[in-house]
Amino acid sequence: MTELRELAKKLLAEGAAKVVIGWEEGPRGVRPAFATDAAAADRLVFDARCAHDLAPYLDRRRVHVAKLGRPAVVVKPCDARAVAGLIRETQVKREDVVLVGVRCGGVLADPEAGGTLSADTIADRCRTCDSRETALADHVVGTPVEPLAAPSRRDARVAELDAMTPAQRWAFWQGELARCTRCNACRQVCPLCYCDRCMADKTQPQWIESSPHGRGNLSWHLLRAIHLAGRCVDCGECERACPSGIPLGLITRKVASVVADRFGHKPGDDPAVPSPIGTWRSDDPQEFIL
Amino acid sequence: MARIGVFVCHCGENIGRTVDCHAVAEALGQVPGVAHAVDYKYMCSDPGQQLIKAAIAEKQLTGVVVAACSPHMHEKTFRRAASSAGLNPFTCEMANVREHCSWIHEDRASATAKAIDLSRMMVEKVKRNVPLSTIRIPVTRRALVIGGGIAGIQAALDIADGGAEVVLVEKAPSIGGHMSQLSETFPTLDCSQCILTPRMVEVYQHPRIRLMSWSEVESVEGYIGNFKVTIRKKARGVDEDKCNGCGACTRACPNKRIPSEFDCGLGKRPAIYVPFPQAVPNLPVVDRARCTLLIARSKGKKDACMKCVEACQRGAIDFEQKDRFVTEEVGAIVVATGYQLYEIGRDQGGRKDLHGYGEYGYGTIPDVIDGMQFERLASASGPTAGRILRPSDGREPRTIVFLQCVGSRDPAKGIEYCSKICCMYVAKHAMLYRHKENGGRAVVFYMDIRAAGKGYDEFTRRAIEEEGAEYVRGRVSRMYRDGDVIKVVGFDTLGGEPFGVDADMVVLATAMRPQPGIESLAQKLSVSYDRHGFINEAHPKLRPVETNTAGVFVAGACQAPRDIPDSVSMASATASKVLGLFSNEMLEREPTVARVDAAICAGCFHCERVCPYGAVTHMEVKDRQGNVLKVVADVNPGVCQGCGTCVATCPSKSVELQGFTDEQVWAQIQAFLG
Repeated sequence: MTELRELAKKLLAEGAAKVVIGWEEGPRGVRPAFATDAAAADRLVFDARCAHDLAPYLDRRRVHVAKLGRPAVVVKPCDARAVAGLIRETQVKREDVVLVGVRCGGVLADPEAGGTLSADTIADRCRTCDSRETALADHVVGTPVEPLAAPSRRDARVAELDAMTPAQRWAFWQGELARCTRCNACRQVCPLCYCDRCMADKTQPQWIESSPHGRGNLSWHLLRAIHLAGRCVDCGECERACPSGIPLGLITRKVASVVADRFGHKPGDDPAVPSPIGTWRSDDPQEFIL
Repeated sequence: MARIGVFVCHCGENIGRTVDCHAVAEALGQVPGVAHAVDYKYMCSDPGQQLIKAAIAEKQLTGVVVAACSPHMHEKTFRRAASSAGLNPFTCEMANVREHCSWIHEDRASATAKAIDLSRMMVEKVKRNVPLSTIRIPVTRRALVIGGGIAGIQAALDIADGGAEVVLVEKAPSIGGHMSQLSETFPTLDCSQCILTPRMVEVYQHPRIRLMSWSEVESVEGYIGNFKVTIRKKARGVDEDKCNGCGACTRACPNKRIPSEFDCGLGKRPAIYVPFPQAVPNLPVVDRARCTLLIARSKGKKDACMKCVEACQRGAIDFEQKDRFVTEEVGAIVVATGYQLYEIGRDQGGRKDLHGYGEYGYGTIPDVIDGMQFERLASASGPTAGRILRPSDGREPRTIVFLQCVGSRDPAKGIEYCSKICCMYVAKHAMLYRHKENGGRAVVFYMDIRAAGKGYDEFTRRAIEEEGAEYVRGRVSRMYRDGDVIKVVGFDTLGGEPFGVDADMVVLATAMRPQPGIESLAQKLSVSYDRHGFINEAHPKLRPVETNTAGVFVAGACQAPRDIPDSVSMASATASKVLGLFSNEMLEREPTVARVDAAICAGCFHCERVCPYGAVTHMEVKDRQGNVLKVVADVNPGVCQGCGTCVATCPSKSVELQGFTDEQVWAQIQAFLG
């Protein structure tokens, strides 16, 4: 913690960054913090409650953050993958941002509840995460951590869904998606949903119905799944942000496994590696097209 | 308010047999916005077109739907008719009720219902069509020909003789290609070099051909009529302007034991060399990997040898020379990169699936050679001055075994296609051998004889019936050295018994493959290729020398296995295509190209990465003070081929294909469902 605060103060003092984006204590656990001076930098924290992906604050469209000046941002390995995605898709220039990597042993499934990290309390996505620190960083802080051995409940659930008949699966998702209120929290919190105008907001024609009912909800979540195929960094924010508790991670996880199977691709923290959705290869065998 | 005219064609009985065309016209007449709906026997006929033109004038139509055949067939016809009646041609569309309906259905009632649906959908689309104008782009009347073999030479000469300038790029030190290595050519047995070298000289002296040998295409930008090509002129080590081709340097070079590429390793050459005496241009090139001086320099030692520099009276040797890059602007490109032979028992240049034929001992038994090596032995200008001698001991072979289809037509070993030329050249080899070695035995193992071509079957028959070549139908399973001879063990499938020969020499007719590096060249040119690396033509029957990329043409063995007459015909065909293209003042392109809405584009540039044609560029959006607000994608309409890959990829749907906008497609779907 001291190491992080000292580094933040140094970056601000030397002018390497005008704002350090990290986490601080808030009324309900930790919250994103925007430290522009030493006092604020002294309030920065990092522990297992810091689940928020801070990469979205690098989007130039967030003018309230952009106007603070050159940012430094604290990134867990999953957040770094999100930054890599933004760099890959020309939303952020690598030289425009200072990246402070934190060594991460996983975050809590319920960060607001707090508590210590254990095989029971760890977030499901962190059970399958194989990255403890990122290469996409200017500075790395924290002590090396060992991964917790815990089986992924999510993968087991995906396997259960795969084993269902199409009718059963349809019924399951109809039930889950019926709770979607189309509040767009999943879109807002996703580091890779940055479009100026989302396709779902297009009205001429309106491909995606905007009112919350079965048909429009299904279209919206299918759209999200396709747009995140090969891009989702598994930061888990969509599922955490969903006020209706829809298991969105099951969708992203399934799509990620399809992409890994078909294209041998897993989104990583190297911006130079292209994602399958943004790739055209003349030697693509396209064996899955009949 | 839209006033659409619907014209339903019977196509004689083609549509009328299965679809009640009159009912379709009546139903469409009820659709809101349709001002006129009729059916007619042959809409594409003159009276049919008159019907459309008259209705446009009389009913003041704003759009036309012709329910008839595929737009591939007659879209141009009807758009021209609409245009001559004063409508924008792109407000005329076709509903395909023939290929998509009448031809594939039997039940008249449901086929009629489907034809009504298809026509209704098209009416809804045309209501939303906006007038588009053809894109006009200028043409640079200059062509690039890649490859200086017989196909490239022919294409260059034909284009240049037609009045256009040509840049001919050849990666080897001399033009001539494989044809310059051949001894005699089938089926006439005329001397290959005798017919080729005059053409090579003609290229060199042609006022409109710029020859760049020892050069390679580095990058290609632009589009039909307006390509910008960067060419790497590899360092020759010899000043082209000073050298007079006297050959003093090559004689002076002490390192004369390097296997000659031209003689397929059967002859030797020095480290500074002209590949063959008739080379064009007659300029030597320094083999940088084998030159004693350059090897010493690369190791930081002092210059070990200066023999060629001392010998040159013109001061033309220049070891300091670096690769140079030149940019040429051309309007059309001809790809004529030719072939290589399957290299038995060696790495096949990235093709891991090509393997096998170790049982033939090529590379380990010195007297097992390939077809091109035999050509060099038989050639009067070859290492043996035309005498067929064994590479191992220089003896005259008394028995030669020829194996056809080594590599070709064997899916298990990676190549399923027929290399086309082998049957003919093996017959020629057998004949040449028998001419030179009267008592010698020429035994040919074959799968079957493919001799389709003018004078070809007569030629192979002559080899068998008059020239005494022994043809054995069957494959060889094993070859091994036994003392002085090569034991060839095979099976005669006609005789139904094993067949063995003691051979003094074995010649393998190995498969034809495209040149190494063809994939990367194809990618630079955005043309597609098959899994073997052969360039794909745009249509196998009707557009055999065009590629998928407008302005890029293909000739010779880089498209498929080709013999000399084929390659020359293709080359002349490309020249006619190129000259046809150049005869236009301006090029007209369909306006069905992608367009980016800069206001919505988020600048992720997925479109740029997926565009097969390199049509997407970056555009800065600025405020009035000139500050860059954002960088968005922009489509160059000259390059865009309208494939729609960007449209499918764009996450925010900021790209639309003109003439196929989301709104139009949506309206069609709604019309169908509604």
